[in-house]
Amino acid sequence: MNFLPVIFWGLLLALLLAAVFHPQRGVLARWRMNSRSGQRELVEDALKYLLKQEQSGRHAAPEALAGAMHLSGSDVLRLITRMESQGLIISQDGGLHLTAEGERWAMHIVRAHRLWESYLATEARLPLNQVHREAERREHRLTAEQLNELEAALGYPRQDPHGDPIPGRDGQVAVAQGMPLTAWKGETPGRIIHLEDEPPLAYAQILAEGLRLGQVVRVLEASPQRIVLSDGENEFRLAPAVAANVFLEPIPDTQAAGNGSMPLSELPDDTVAEVVALDEACQGYTRRRLLDLGMTPGARLQPEMRNFFGDPRAYRVRGTLIALRKEQADQIWVRPLN
Amino acid sequence: MTLSNPTHPSQSQTESPLSPQDLLARVEALRPKLGDNFRDEIVKSLYAEAETIARRAVHAKGEARYDLDQRIDRLVTSPIFGLPIMLLMLAAVFWLTIVGANVPSKMLADALFWVEEQAAALFTTIGIPWWITGFLWHGVYRGLAWVVSVMLPPMAIFFPMFTILEDLGYLPRVAFNLDWLFKRAGAHGKQSLTMAMGFGCNAAGVIATRVIDSPRERLIAILTNNFVPCNGRFPTLIMLATVFVAAAFPPLFASLAAAGSVVLVVLIGVFFTLVVSWALSRTLLKGEASAFTLELPPYRVPNIGRILYTSLIDRTIFVLLRAMGTAAPAGAVIWVLGNINVAGVSLAQHIANFLNPLGGLIGLDGVILLAYIIAIPANEIVVPTMMMVYMGTGMMTDIPSLEGLRTLLVGSHGWSMLTAVNLMLFSLLHNPCATTILTIYKETNSRKWAAFGALMPLGLAFLVTFLTASAARLLGLAP
Repeated sequence: MNFLPVIFWGLLLALLLAAVFHPQRGVLARWRMNSRSGQRELVEDALKYLLKQEQSGRHAAPEALAGAMHLSGSDVLRLITRMESQGLIISQDGGLHLTAEGERWAMHIVRAHRLWESYLATEARLPLNQVHREAERREHRLTAEQLNELEAALGYPRQDPHGDPIPGRDGQVAVAQGMPLTAWKGETPGRIIHLEDEPPLAYAQILAEGLRLGQVVRVLEASPQRIVLSDGENEFRLAPAVAANVFLEPIPDTQAAGNGSMPLSELPDDTVAEVVALDEACQGYTRRRLLDLGMTPGARLQPEMRNFFGDPRAYRVRGTLIALRKEQADQIWVRPLN
Repeated sequence: MTLSNPTHPSQSQTESPLSPQDLLARVEALRPKLGDNFRDEIVKSLYAEAETIARRAVHAKGEARYDLDQRIDRLVTSPIFGLPIMLLMLAAVFWLTIVGANVPSKMLADALFWVEEQAAALFTTIGIPWWITGFLWHGVYRGLAWVVSVMLPPMAIFFPMFTILEDLGYLPRVAFNLDWLFKRAGAHGKQSLTMAMGFGCNAAGVIATRVIDSPRERLIAILTNNFVPCNGRFPTLIMLATVFVAAAFPPLFASLAAAGSVVLVVLIGVFFTLVVSWALSRTLLKGEASAFTLELPPYRVPNIGRILYTSLIDRTIFVLLRAMGTAAPAGAVIWVLGNINVAGVSLAQHIANFLNPLGGLIGLDGVILLAYIIAIPANEIVVPTMMMVYMGTGMMTDIPSLEGLRTLLVGSHGWSMLTAVNLMLFSLLHNPCATTILTIYKETNSRKWAAFGALMPLGLAFLVTFLTASAARLLGLAP
């Protein structure tokens, strides 16, 4: 059999596929960019980028915008011209400034993005490291009224699953609080209130270490090479570049760790315990479900049996036997009673 | 928030009567200002209130004990006895269903077909044209009678037994035992229950997925329920196992081999359920396993009246009526195809000839594919339709004796072991019947998912049978 034609046609097919499907320069991408909705998405992404720059006190130059959006020089110039003619931005001193209208629109997109993230994480239960990418796709598709409905259905969340504040209907956004881990002083414990989800690689590392919102941690060691944290049981090691994406706030002494509470999954067999609280990271559907089953603070429960592989485990609570998987039992904090 | 004072709702009304619209508008305005976790407070206060009421109304002597329940639980979830007890129960339910349904099925069929004969004879004597008699009695009525006599007795036995296990409190323990398997597939432990229900009828299994409270896992259970063979498909599997597998063994082991091969097909079905669940939860229905919460109710004596009602009225009759609604037109179509001749050959034979190349590609033949197309409304009529076309009769025909059947299939129509194996696989994996597809549509309220639930299994069936046929041909095991 002669393999040359096979290789030739295979290569040709691969080239053709690449020309059609290449994410930035392929025919499909071009077509999308030039379609009406594609153009709007482009404008909205640019607005979001410029808003982020302004919030950190910078005014982006056209080159920076081109770089951030992976556009060629001529494409970005066309985009800027269009946005100027729509009254969304003005060029000044070599930088791009948002107009009031542009800022209002940008806020709408940020709000859409964070509400979508909340929905995807707490109701659709998408894995946390995929939430951002999915929200990027969906943020362009809702009107302001639909967003308000989504917000109401979610129960007016104040922050997205990474701890970023969600802008209100009036476009007001609560100031992000917290201090990056790299600037956290000494041994005082702090509560994690924000995990920055960009860049995704750093965020994936944070998740892989097992850090989550609401966790109370202490800094054990801080050197230019690494930062070591502890939540009282496990140690977490992060590179400083990654640690800069973890934000803490001080906690009142009364709530500090060491009150003897543990996740329900670690409660020894046949020990009676009292529910202290549901984990902050447990929101939306799961939280409602656990509350409905009677796992409210103060409720007493006792592990009664295990599956022969150890998971799930059944607990007696309020006279009923309820089986939970380890993932759910991890999110219920209990205190053993003697 | 005045949650702490729920007993005096009239206080605010005494001052200024608020119209409902104003009240709702105020709620709307205040609602965003509540904290994130005010729901916690609401549930907490509800439980506190319920506890106060319970303390006032109920007096208990000492602590509630659950000794007997605990002892049973330890046994049915133990590493040694848990799985064997479960398999034993399942086997007992199957055995009782198949053995118990045999005689009533036969009696029902005899009675219903006797009516057909008498009615047809009556029509002929009063001079009604043959094609009206044939269409009405040998077509529509025969289709109905067939489905009723094959479906009703097994369902009337299976569903009450299933409901007894449900009422007893045993079924949630099965879900508890098997959850580890489904967790790995990204599904819910309760899917094992909906699968067990699917043995009775896939449409009933799809409805049973309502017990799964998270939408993602519920959809997975709905879309994969088809991979457990239902009562309507068991006759095909048993026929093939008896004619082909059992015949290859010495008489002493024949029935054991037949039973073993049916069990093997069921296990293959379970395997495909898990694999497809796994694939779905990583592609189309991506998401983390959501709240798995499973209530294990206390054991109790089954309530016979309620069991008969839910299993016979809610399940058996409901499913049967839906199946009859689709079987009647199918019976009509079969009769028309079998009785209209073009160029001396029936329409059915023409279509079968046309489908032959496609059927050959997957190790089957055109007649089998035609039977599956006609049997989309109800799988029970696959075998009778095949017999009709093979034997050239103008109506659905019962299986001749086993020996005659073997000669007919192997001798006259070129069936091989590959045909038998692939027909078993195709019967297990192919698209669900129209009743089930309709039920998927009603349960998901989405044409898209109903279409997917029908086409995904069909594609999988073609793929798997194509692969087995190609493999067998490459190895020289089949022509």
